Amino acid sequence: MALEDYRTDMEMCCRCSICKFVPLEKLTEKRHSYVCPSIARYNFHTYSGGGRTSMGLALLDEELEYDEKLLEVVYNCQMCGACDMSCKYAMDIEVLEPINEIRIKCVEGGHTVPALDGIISSLRNQATMVPGAKAKRGDWAAGLDVKDITKQQAGVIYHAGCRVCYDQDLRQVATNTIELLKKAGIDVGIAGENEICCGGRAYQMGYKEDFLNQAKKYMEIIRKSGAKTLVTGCADCYHAFKVPYDKFGLKGDLEVMHATEYLARLIEEGKLKPTKKVDIKVTYHDPCHLGRLGEPYIHWEGNPVPGHIRIFDPPKEFRRGTYGVYEPPRDVLKSIPGLKLVEMDRVKEYAWCCGAGGGVRESNPDFAKWTARERISEAESTGADAIVTACSGCEQNFKETIDECGSSLKVYDVVELLARAI
Amino acid sequence: MVLKRELYQALEDVVGPENISEAPVILGSYAQRGRPRFEAVTLPKTTEEVQAIVRLCNRFGVQFKASSSGWGAYGDAGGPGVVKLDLRRMNRILEINEKNMYVVVEPYVIYAQLQAELMKRGLNCNITGAGSNCSALPLAAHQGIGHLSVSGSYGERNQLALEWVTPEGEIVRAGSLGSIGQWWCGDGPGPSLRGIIRGNVMPLGGLGVYTKAAQKIYHWPGPATFPIEGVSPHYRPNQIPPGFMIHYISFPSPEKLSKAAQKVGEAEIGFILMGFNPGMISANIATNNNEDLAYIKQFTDSVQGPGFLIIMAGNSPRDTEYKEKALQQIIDEYGGEPLEAVEEPKNAGGFMWRFIRVTSSIREVARASGIFAGEVGGTDVFPLMHQYIMRSAPVKQRYIDEGKLLADGTDPFVQSVEHGHAGHAELLIRFNKQDPGSLKVAGEIAQFANKTAIEGHFGVPGHAWGDAAHDQYGPHTLNYHKWLRKIKKTFDPNAASESTNYITADN
Ligand SMILES: Cc1cc2nc3c(=O)[nH]c(=O)nc-3n(C[C@H](O)[C@H](O)[C@H](O)COP(=O)(O)OP(=O)(O)OC[C@H]3O[C@@H](n4cnc5c(N)ncnc54)[C@H](O)[C@@H]3O)c2cc1C
Ligand code: SF4
Ligand code: SF4
Repeated sequence: MALEDYRTDMEMCCRCSICKFVPLEKLTEKRHSYVCPSIARYNFHTYSGGGRTSMGLALLDEELEYDEKLLEVVYNCQMCGACDMSCKYAMDIEVLEPINEIRIKCVEGGHTVPALDGIISSLRNQATMVPGAKAKRGDWAAGLDVKDITKQQAGVIYHAGCRVCYDQDLRQVATNTIELLKKAGIDVGIAGENEICCGGRAYQMGYKEDFLNQAKKYMEIIRKSGAKTLVTGCADCYHAFKVPYDKFGLKGDLEVMHATEYLARLIEEGKLKPTKKVDIKVTYHDPCHLGRLGEPYIHWEGNPVPGHIRIFDPPKEFRRGTYGVYEPPRDVLKSIPGLKLVEMDRVKEYAWCCGAGGGVRESNPDFAKWTARERISEAESTGADAIVTACSGCEQNFKETIDECGSSLKVYDVVELLARAI
Repeated sequence: MVLKRELYQALEDVVGPENISEAPVILGSYAQRGRPRFEAVTLPKTTEEVQAIVRLCNRFGVQFKASSSGWGAYGDAGGPGVVKLDLRRMNRILEINEKNMYVVVEPYVIYAQLQAELMKRGLNCNITGAGSNCSALPLAAHQGIGHLSVSGSYGERNQLALEWVTPEGEIVRAGSLGSIGQWWCGDGPGPSLRGIIRGNVMPLGGLGVYTKAAQKIYHWPGPATFPIEGVSPHYRPNQIPPGFMIHYISFPSPEKLSKAAQKVGEAEIGFILMGFNPGMISANIATNNNEDLAYIKQFTDSVQGPGFLIIMAGNSPRDTEYKEKALQQIIDEYGGEPLEAVEEPKNAGGFMWRFIRVTSSIREVARASGIFAGEVGGTDVFPLMHQYIMRSAPVKQRYIDEGKLLADGTDPFVQSVEHGHAGHAELLIRFNKQDPGSLKVAGEIAQFANKTAIEGHFGVPGHAWGDAAHDQYGPHTLNYHKWLRKIKKTFDPNAASESTNYITADN
């Protein structure tokens, strides 16, 4: 697919601005009613989902130069998909897909920003999205008695992800997950030193070819390991394996599960029993790429049916965020004795993004933190002691922002709290 | 045309460099495809900033145009040399006065936000039928008529005191705001400019900028938040709040529908009353276009003739009982039949909330093809408006038969305003906007509607805006167009307020 393939979607945009707000039926108060960080921060209509579709058409028709302002608009978007979801409450059009294609078109034409080029060069040279990463990728698993899937067969492969591997503060999630899986008797292995980046964030940033190269390499590792299931605790990686890998026909029959899905299943089957009390009041932040964007990819090929209503032959089922992963992380939290879960105003399919996605944390850290601050204050308004999430990107961005803004809110991953209860 | 550097710099000094742009990528998204672009877009935050921008435009001989949520194409530039005021940073609810039942908002408060805040206080507001994504400023909507107008009136009548930056840049405070600094009355003590700043419809950007306005609000007998569950697009309440009832009733003939709707008004039992056609009912429930087509067929096959959607909200068990009984009597008297799908427990709550929050108009009008058109009647006595639309509507079927429009359940819709004291009717059409034949048909339907309105003495419909339309209607309607021009000329001597969709002074 290319931007041109979304021309009719973009032409359908009627500039109703619904993509700037949480779904109107769910809006219960004014203060948390915006859903798109980009338009909320930059205010010009162009920064919204609808504004971006109009930009896409203008690019297709070569009405715009790839000037500095255009690139500023293009890359100041978290690719969080909130616009897409709010729009598709009412409309039968793709919004996030063309936004992604605009980036791909920019990259193909060499119109990029240095911060993202830097990350991609690290991906090309070191197979990781963490530039300048010094530590060894497999160090996080030191001391864990876990299979190396490059040498031994395992039913389940656990993918830690670049951020977890190279950020000491995030490693806990990975070690906890392995310990819990082993406790439940799961035959799990890791690639350790040989783990590579999934490439998903490269795709979000528009570097499609780099993503595809990486994905092919990754699937080769998996094929050799014989693993049938991949589990990851990172929402970005989860999304990559589940959605774009499938979109480009690379996933095969690999079962992709987020750690919270897998652990919720183990709890339900009685293989893990949270018994220790964890006295804490928490609120759960739905990561965009686990929540609304985490639903399966739907393969479709067809043509519009000529006429006055936008329908297709065969009928096209749109991904509207309906089947994202919303309940398993909550189920895990609810299984923890003593833990009290309170909800924020913006949840599930209309959760406010943590701010880190789409390369924004790297290209415009101020905007990433501005977005996180908005979420942190929303979390604080629930009276929770901690914001809990299920993505290393969200965790990292929240932690850094909290350090800066001096909030007393704690940040945890769901898995960390579960580990305390077992 | 590029703005003079001196002007651009002066504008930048007013709003700050972050809040002005003339970059092509920004300007492009403020113009419909192929239409003129603004020279610059500004994002003022205060009335004083708006005033400064307006004054600069007057000084430098360029035009300006404001918009609120920016949905309507009438908020775009009509030609070159226009500066945009995107009011989205003016987004405060300034006051909710529970005792005196009014609210004061800035332009970028949308109705969904306002309604949510009001419901927490047992209050509610009228919402333009366009949807709760639109500005809650009673002066942004075209007419401000909507689903709730039967019980919650409409823009012109709800509007109280207001703050207006005139086309020359004077700040005028109208109504009680102009004398005693309070918002509760639009007409005094202090200057009442109701007849100046709004005519049959709003000036659509052609007469300065409204920066704050008060409007009347209403009693809400429901819960603080509607108990909505589910994940998009499958939202529905887990229970219907006590006292709330929803029905779609079809009638054997348009005449019976009209009489029944008036009786509902006399009995004052309607919270919402919309003479929706089956196509509008189906769009409300259908989560995609394929479902929509299936429901259109199902609903069209299940009704005996034209109908109305009614939602009633009882204030007490006795009130609920009265409303139910009164409706039943009206149904019996005029041979009404319920459309059961609307009342089914699995559907009723969702239907109800989508109509109360007004979320499905975008499904009704935009999902099919991204565009809609038609004819928008005026607001006058209910039977007259009903007759008007019935007389001008049959032309639609001809075009459907010719394949130029979507067959969407062809009835026009008529709605009751203030318990039937007034009525308003529209005929909507949906079509493939890439098809030049269909676009031509949209124009022909509007012209047929104009001919019908003029020949039948039905008054000036809501779709009459711009010089050509006013010049067509004026001579048949006490030469109102001459007065409108005088207003324009007097308040906007420099023609600074871009008025393609209002009236220009010099025709
Ligand atoms: C799908 C659809 C359905 C509709 N149905 C209805 C309906 O049922 N009833 C009805 O009454 N109308 C209807 N309309 C018209 C509708 O009222 C307006 O489009 C809508 O209310 C505009 O709200 P907005 O905030 O988007 O205004 P905008 O699009 O921002 O502005 C609308 C017009 O008012 C001007 N304007 C806006 N704000 C200001 C301001 N603060 N100062 C000066 N000028 C301003 C703009 O220049 C523009 O000309 C419909 C429109 C659409 C697109
Ligand atoms: S992208 Fe969708 S929601 Fe946004 S303005 Fe366009 S049609 Fe409306
Ligand atoms: S993807 Fe997210 S940040 Fe980007 S335009 Fe859509 S809602 Fe805004």
